[in-house]
Amino acid sequence: MALLRIRGIEKRFGGLRAVDGVGMDIAEGELLGLIGPNGSGKTTLLNVLSGHMRADAGEVSLDGRNVLGLNPTRLTRLGVLRMFQMTRVFNRITAFDNLIVCGMALGLKEAEAGERATELLAELKLSHVMHLDGGQLSGGQKKLLEFGACFMVPPRVALLDEPFAAVHPTMKETMATFIRNRNAQGQTFILVSHDMPVVVELCPRSVCMNTGKVLADGPTQEVLNDRAVIEAYLGENADAGHEEDADA
Amino acid sequence: MAIPSHPAFLRNKLSQEMRLSLVVLALLALAPLVISSPYWLGVLIVSMYFAMLSTGWNLLAGYTGQFSLAPAAFAMLGGYTTGLLAWHWNVPLAIGLPMSFIVPGLIGLVLGRIVLRLSGPYLALTTLSFAEIVRLIIYNSIDFTRGDQGLNVPALMDSRIGNYYLFLVVLAAVTAGVFLLLRSRIGRFLQAIRDDEIGAASRGVDVVQAKTIAFLVSCSICGLAGGLYGTFAQLVSPELGLIAQTGIVIAMVVIGGMGTLVGPLIGAVLVYVASELLRDVGNIQMIVFAILVIVFARFFREGLWGLARQAMARRRDAAGAKGA
Repeated sequence: MALLRIRGIEKRFGGLRAVDGVGMDIAEGELLGLIGPNGSGKTTLLNVLSGHMRADAGEVSLDGRNVLGLNPTRLTRLGVLRMFQMTRVFNRITAFDNLIVCGMALGLKEAEAGERATELLAELKLSHVMHLDGGQLSGGQKKLLEFGACFMVPPRVALLDEPFAAVHPTMKETMATFIRNRNAQGQTFILVSHDMPVVVELCPRSVCMNTGKVLADGPTQEVLNDRAVIEAYLGENADAGHEEDADA
Repeated sequence: MAIPSHPAFLRNKLSQEMRLSLVVLALLALAPLVISSPYWLGVLIVSMYFAMLSTGWNLLAGYTGQFSLAPAAFAMLGGYTTGLLAWHWNVPLAIGLPMSFIVPGLIGLVLGRIVLRLSGPYLALTTLSFAEIVRLIIYNSIDFTRGDQGLNVPALMDSRIGNYYLFLVVLAAVTAGVFLLLRSRIGRFLQAIRDDEIGAASRGVDVVQAKTIAFLVSCSICGLAGGLYGTFAQLVSPELGLIAQTGIVIAMVVIGGMGTLVGPLIGAVLVYVASELLRDVGNIQMIVFAILVIVFARFFREGLWGLARQAMARRRDAAGAKGA
């Protein structure tokens, strides 16, 4: 049985169908890449999955339980953790306390949360800024901190919206390594990214969306070679590149 | 593993502020040794009343990011709760005073639920409207509240010094209570909500519960302050709930240090004592405070306590550099 089962999700903004009948299954331990051009509905779909938007139609079940329409707090407590495209950290408390809050909100005792936060900050190479307020961190450090906050308690599924955007390559590699390691241990991810090399490297399967619909769903390389995906998203240069690769 | 120790961490920052609050409270406890004038003792009693209001409002605005404009209205509600119970039903202060804590708290709970989804100017305007409605109802319900004549309230303490230490003990209890709340799980959640409500909900924080608790506790503290003030002044009137009173509370918190435990204590005492010193020069005191609020809001967001902390940090760094 799929860990996350999505069927016929629709979300309209006036006359615009931002998400139009999207469906997919995500298995436990899967690392799914969600790609597509800007405005294709990826973030809106994540907003529906994380409870930040109400879908107009459809079904979402987690572990067989219907979770569509639950609020973000309840979904988070059920294990659906979300990292936002526009970074969200608590600006006036320290990086360390940012993580403590997340751990305690999910039921950890303060000492446990402290232990977990210390480990996570070390793994994400943020130990040297743990005493700085969230607002004092650089953009990349904020991204890493928000990323870490999703793992204070291992989630059932982590929804990562553009985690690598505007991040220094070193930090990007730290995050990618973290995702790779956690996925090897069975952690489930949905990763939204425009960074194709990282998606190719990390995600065995990808879904490409366009104008609110699923354009292609399958092994990442096959999706990237899909004619409709090339036309709608990657462009003809990518097509030529793929053909050259194939010729080689 | 134990939580790392660093002055900037929330728990340590709060403990540091609590220690300083105890110093301020200790200075207030010693003040009657050098101040014998009943007038100046009265000034300090009223400044402690404002310190309670400021602490209550700061919990809501400074720590939770809920900019309410009704702290004075809740103080008025507390005062009238005690006053009306005594006036109409001869309820003793032993019951009437705790009711000044409970009734405004319950009203605050309802208001908190109503304004749950509001923020910024919408929240401020809604609480301001609430404050004015309550004040006008009390002002116009002459048969029940005696309107602008005010309502006589029995005294709890006969002597000024007795009142002084009563206010001091309650202020200490309020400060300790807020400190314990802020150190708790809920306290951490409140600060997360202040910084990013959507982010907090997305991390599993029960925003509805945390904000409701903040409203309940804040309004209860303001109500108790009002109830206590009524027993000291032996009179409550609709003037207690004037928006200008809320303005003074905001000025005290901004000048002392918004979102800090000790800021409201320092701000309330300094602003009220200074306003008494400037009384002879007329309304210029309000102009001075208004300018100070603008200067602090623009340049020193963390108020006097923030300035003091920065100075201490600089001194520590300089000492560290010297040592190295």
